[in-house]
Amino acid sequence: MSKTQEQKPKRQLAKSMIMVNEQTAKVYAEAREAAEKGEPIGWSTAIFPQELCETFGIPLVYPENNAAAVSARHLGGQFISHAEGEMRYPINICSYARLNIGMADKITQPGWEKVEPAMPVPTFLTLANNSCTQLMKWYENLSRNLDIPIFFVDCLYNYYEEEPAPHKVKYVRNQIENTIKKMEEFFGKKFDWDKFLEVQKISQINRIMFNEIVSLNSRKPAPMNGFDLFNYMSSLVLCRGKESTTRILEQLKKEIEEHIANGTSTYGSKPEQYRVHWEGIACWPNLGYNLKTLKKYDVNCVMNGYVTAWDVAYEPGDMDGMAKAYQTSSTNSFSTPSIMEKRTESIEKFSCDGMLCHVNRSCKLMTFHIFVGRDIIEEKAKIPTTNFDGDQSDTRVFSEAQFETRLQGLVEVMKANKEAK
Amino acid sequence: MSDINVLISKFDFIANNPKEVIDKYIAEGKKIIGCFPVYTPQPLVTAAGMVPMGMWGGQITPTVAAKYNPIFTCSIMRSCLEFGMTGIFDQMSAVMMPMLCDTFRGMSSAWRAGVKNIPLISFIHPQNRTDSGALEFLIDEYKSVQEKLEAIAGVKITDATLSATLDLYNTKNLVMREFCDVANDHLDIITPVVRHNVMKSATFLEISETIDMVKELINELRNQQICKWTGKKVILTGITAEPEEFLKIFEENKIAVVGDDLAQETRQYRTDYPSGNSAIERLAANWMELKGCSMAHETDHTIRGQMLVDMAKNKGADCIAICLMRFCDVEEYEYPYISKMAEEAGLYSLCLEIDQSTQDNGQSRTKIQSYAEI
Amino acid sequence: MQYVLGIDIGSTASKAVIMTYDREIYAKTVVPHGTGSIGPKQVYEKILSENNLKKEDLSRILVTGYGRFVFDDADNQKSEISCHAKGINFLNPEVRTIIDIGGQDVKAIRLNEKGMILNFVMNDKCAAGTGRFLDTMANILNVKTSELGSLSEKAEKVVTISNTCTVFAESEVISQLSNNVRLEDLVAGINKSVAKRVASLAFRVGIATEVAMSGGVALNKGVVKSLSEELKIDIFVHEDCQFAGALGAALFALEELEKKGDAIT
Repeated sequence: MSKTQEQKPKRQLAKSMIMVNEQTAKVYAEAREAAEKGEPIGWSTAIFPQELCETFGIPLVYPENNAAAVSARHLGGQFISHAEGEMRYPINICSYARLNIGMADKITQPGWEKVEPAMPVPTFLTLANNSCTQLMKWYENLSRNLDIPIFFVDCLYNYYEEEPAPHKVKYVRNQIENTIKKMEEFFGKKFDWDKFLEVQKISQINRIMFNEIVSLNSRKPAPMNGFDLFNYMSSLVLCRGKESTTRILEQLKKEIEEHIANGTSTYGSKPEQYRVHWEGIACWPNLGYNLKTLKKYDVNCVMNGYVTAWDVAYEPGDMDGMAKAYQTSSTNSFSTPSIMEKRTESIEKFSCDGMLCHVNRSCKLMTFHIFVGRDIIEEKAKIPTTNFDGDQSDTRVFSEAQFETRLQGLVEVMKANKEAK
Repeated sequence: MSDINVLISKFDFIANNPKEVIDKYIAEGKKIIGCFPVYTPQPLVTAAGMVPMGMWGGQITPTVAAKYNPIFTCSIMRSCLEFGMTGIFDQMSAVMMPMLCDTFRGMSSAWRAGVKNIPLISFIHPQNRTDSGALEFLIDEYKSVQEKLEAIAGVKITDATLSATLDLYNTKNLVMREFCDVANDHLDIITPVVRHNVMKSATFLEISETIDMVKELINELRNQQICKWTGKKVILTGITAEPEEFLKIFEENKIAVVGDDLAQETRQYRTDYPSGNSAIERLAANWMELKGCSMAHETDHTIRGQMLVDMAKNKGADCIAICLMRFCDVEEYEYPYISKMAEEAGLYSLCLEIDQSTQDNGQSRTKIQSYAEI
Repeated sequence: MQYVLGIDIGSTASKAVIMTYDREIYAKTVVPHGTGSIGPKQVYEKILSENNLKKEDLSRILVTGYGRFVFDDADNQKSEISCHAKGINFLNPEVRTIIDIGGQDVKAIRLNEKGMILNFVMNDKCAAGTGRFLDTMANILNVKTSELGSLSEKAEKVVTISNTCTVFAESEVISQLSNNVRLEDLVAGINKSVAKRVASLAFRVGIATEVAMSGGVALNKGVVKSLSEELKIDIFVHEDCQFAGALGAALFALEELEKKGDAIT
């Protein structure tokens, strides 16, 4: 993502980050090129089976990721205003949706002022509702407003803690296979099952490597400022099945291992005092303030729940496994007890002293997890938690004063806990 | 009191006192299964010899539910959780919850955390209804619900019993639709409040009772003189259009409700259980045939809008009143296109906020009155 | 001489207008107390006493506004949307879009060339963008709400207030004050915050020229200017715009008399 370029860097951008930015730019450039040639280009939800279009060689861009990038650069307001005003969308729906639906309307109007990264007009949509049901409604609106079709893989929801039952896996697998057939018709080309296997293999290599890198941050002190993970996530969102991601992750791993060897960290020269687990999506427009304030209190958010969403694990060649993987990714495809079990493990592994929860006005599901899960975390992980209000891309919700007050409160409890030990 | 007024009072009582209804069934030795909105496999409950009862929240400001339920979620769910946590639903043997939106996903965990004494039967409908595997999936999903219900009832549901039950539900659908038609010839008697009470009672009463009572009302109405309504006519759409104070605003402004697309009301009755290879397949096929609901994904995204416009024109209404449940995101996403389609068709559209946690109808009053004054 | 009286009982102020049968505005007055207070009674008594009139001189009284259902002496009541539309149409028949920012409600109304209402929208239940928001902010800044307009005229730049929630916006303003931001620049930011919220509502109903504002907040030049910038259109503000609702009520009173055949010119 280009957002780190907007912060005045005190140090040079890491090579891995430069590679990420180049990769992102290439994704958008290829999409725009295809659009100019009148070839198919899709808008996709974040955890749709990317392996399909990757195999077909059809470019996708990702509205949620785009909305995050646009709002990190404080350019989302005009689209949100447009969606809420003339387009009449109520203010209570997800701000990514408002931003993107507003933007989609503007880019079909001639001569609109492009906001980078610029999304080309799509010719189709790919939708997986594992992240949430609002995605389905959002994409219905895009489909209606732009008059384009949706390729839909309904990923259901795991309301209990058990593994998805066979009839659920069957339904999702069937949809993936049917989608391939429908795409063959729509794109006018045959699906290359050999290439598909290769893409699956690359996707798994990337997934495993990203997990390894994230795990490196469980060291004390952490070799990374956990917030960096938000930036690298971009590769996993946009290019999960590409070899360019493998290169980036190899480079990143090298850099982190160097930090470990040298006893340094991307967190900076002042060592972390408190290791915190961040729960919820980032407050993209307020990243700078969040980071600054966290550092002021010597807090490193070494781990966050959000990055695990792209841990889409399956054996290449196993279609049932792939179907199951897509219905068990994303924080929002699990029940709260399931998620809090994962968080507890993560909190222990990463030696977290506390948990900082972003009550995201746009994300009801994640907020439910925070509310319902609080008791579970306090009982099982035995660490203090605190909430603060914000939004992933709407600038009108976050309050700097509240954030600092809440964080300070958390730090005071963590400090007391440490001294008591 | 005349017979028809006695009936109307009965419906009023039932709609406003579901607790009394539950008490009566419990005294008769029956088991109650609570049904969260909007679509649950109620025929399975009836076929198992139990009574399915709709859960529609209530006009309260939740306090204990706030622990598990963020304030920016719909008030109907918050009220239900509050009732669950404060013992109001204690007589229910279990509740069924469909995963129709994000708030339901969250609630399936919130309920289990906050209401430990009432078992939760969660299940999920397939949204990709045109996919070749969707029907088979729902059949299997309903089978797992069936097993849980059978365990509670202590009986096995046979195919024959379920099939007969589905036919009974189709009869209920027919009767409710007939009521809505006949009501439009007697808008002096079937005011917005009365109409609502009949529709809401039907979500609480045992099915045979509903059919009998509504049939009786239809017969009584047919004996009355036809009323030539001179006031305005509206179609209501949304999740619910309550409470009574809200509906009275229409009455005060001489506005009649001549049709609805409310989740609590006509959406329950406009899709029948079709014929099929087995009863459980018939049950599942009903979901596949549902049209024009914000909670059921469709490939044609203008069906609901067109349905509302047609409904208004067929019933002589000049306004579509969108009763927008605050924080109901599935409805909020559809509000823009519905209001615009209505206006393009030359109809008025009103956006009336529904919120169970507030008693203030001031804004709705102004909007409805202003429409009446046009 | 016989007259009619229109009263607009808002949430923060009560307005009254007396009209002659010739449709001339005979008198107008306002008191800064709204529904649920002495306001309605006070404005009624004040307009009579200031003009040496008695109750008996009034042929008809019509009320509008939030408090319209609890005014005993009224012959009838009508919604403020209908009354604002009628009032503004009277003041300027060219107006096709009315934006009314009241104490706790914001309304956008579209009219046709006959002055009849085509469509209208109201704000979501939230203080943001209303007079209440401005009152709260003025309080924190220790100025009068009526001074906000002239203060913003002296602004050198606009200090953005990002929060729409009144509670959070309060803390944002306080934080800015402690950063020694200029009061005038802060006021400009507050006005812009209101304007953005209101513009969003106006876009929903669609903008057609001429555009006019009504309601007390229209007297705040800063908000008018900011709204004009957001809508990218000129906004017409009649000096009597605060009385648009009461004026419309008075006009409705006359119409009702004429229908009954009671108004003699």
